[in-house]
Amino acid sequence: MALVERCRRGDLAAFEELYKAHAGKLFSVACRMLGNPADAEDLLQEIFLSAHRKLDGFRGEAALGTWLYRLATNHCLDYLRSRAARTSQLTDALDDERGHFEPARGGLAERSITRMDLERALAQLPDGCRAAFLLHDVQGLEHREVAEALGIAEGTSKSQVHKARLRLRFLLSGAEGGGAV
Amino acid sequence: MHTTYRESIHELIDGTIGAIRRTELERHLDECAECRSFLADMKAIRQATDSLEPLDPPDGVWLQVAGRLRQEGRVQALPTPTPSRAPRYAVLAIAASLVLAVGIAIGLLVTQFRTPSGPAQTTAAAPTAAAPNAPPETVDVESVEAEFRLAEQHYQNAIAKLEQAARLDQAASGGDNALDPQTAAMLQKSLQVIDQAIAESRAALRSEPLSASARDSLFDALKRKVALLQDTIALMNEMRKGNSAGSAQIVDGLNKS
Repeated sequence: MALVERCRRGDLAAFEELYKAHAGKLFSVACRMLGNPADAEDLLQEIFLSAHRKLDGFRGEAALGTWLYRLATNHCLDYLRSRAARTSQLTDALDDERGHFEPARGGLAERSITRMDLERALAQLPDGCRAAFLLHDVQGLEHREVAEALGIAEGTSKSQVHKARLRLRFLLSGAEGGGAV
Repeated sequence: MHTTYRESIHELIDGTIGAIRRTELERHLDECAECRSFLADMKAIRQATDSLEPLDPPDGVWLQVAGRLRQEGRVQALPTPTPSRAPRYAVLAIAASLVLAVGIAIGLLVTQFRTPSGPAQTTAAAPTAAAPNAPPETVDVESVEAEFRLAEQHYQNAIAKLEQAARLDQAASGGDNALDPQTAAMLQKSLQVIDQAIAESRAALRSEPLSASARDSLFDALKRKVALLQDTIALMNEMRKGNSAGSAQIVDGLNKS
């Protein structure tokens, strides 16, 4: 019997199997989306409870993993929207101030980017860009899958990921010497 | 910065660039230091991104999720068995041993209430015959009441677990041991009759809490329900095994009961 069907029948062991297969990936996204492990833990609970409630509506048109990513990113974005209005300000900045993405100093290739620098820079990306970047560049989804997960067009996924990379380039270039990051 | 080549550089990073565009880009990179720098930065970012490790949630998160699902009644205590034969045998074996154990316990308890000269009935009848509110006998009556409720609870537990076992076996079978409509209707009707008898016995006990006949009727009805559920599981088991003779024998017995 398929895992999803067993979960629908109320089989807790099956749902634990589903949880174990996907919790790590969703937690990674939630942590990096929210920038706070404690909030991500709370949200992960809500994501899986929501998944259990909505399993009846899962028709298998998308892969289960993509469907779960969609639930997770929606939860993250809702959470962030309710947390602060600065989200839209950052999005505006990303869209309007294209010139600011150019590196402020030397190229990144000449020095190593630490994980901490990257995490800090990621936290400064606009939410939509960050979600697309995390799903595509960190989690390894294809643009088609990112588009399904975020409910956007495939072209929009590409443009969001590209914008995220440009923004990271700008932020990481400024990191040296206490710049933007 | 040659923005027209940015898209190609992103595709190169992603490994999705086509052969023609790749050749065109490489030719451009040979001539353009700015685009070479952009490509180097994109590669550095990609390399840093690849070093990001997956993060594991604490174990407590799953426990909280499972707890909430149980609280909301969205999951069952026992996992649903898979349709393989071995787990289904296991379910039936568990059900059988459960019924046997509970049946022995119930048998011992019921004997107390059923024996005309037994302590429960004698003690229960005593207050009405002699001194209705005498303290020692009142205690005895309460004790009898408590034991009676315990015995009934054992029956109810056995019934609930048998019903669950029957549901699990039916679900696990995927329909290959589904009862034929006539047998299903007969079983359904028998259950309705028994449930009606249980309801009537309870109503009689409410109006006459010490009535031995009402208690006997209730225990009879509960016992019949346990037996019917046992037969239902046995019937599904025989059908699953393809034993038509065994199935017919059980159905025949059900029709006679």
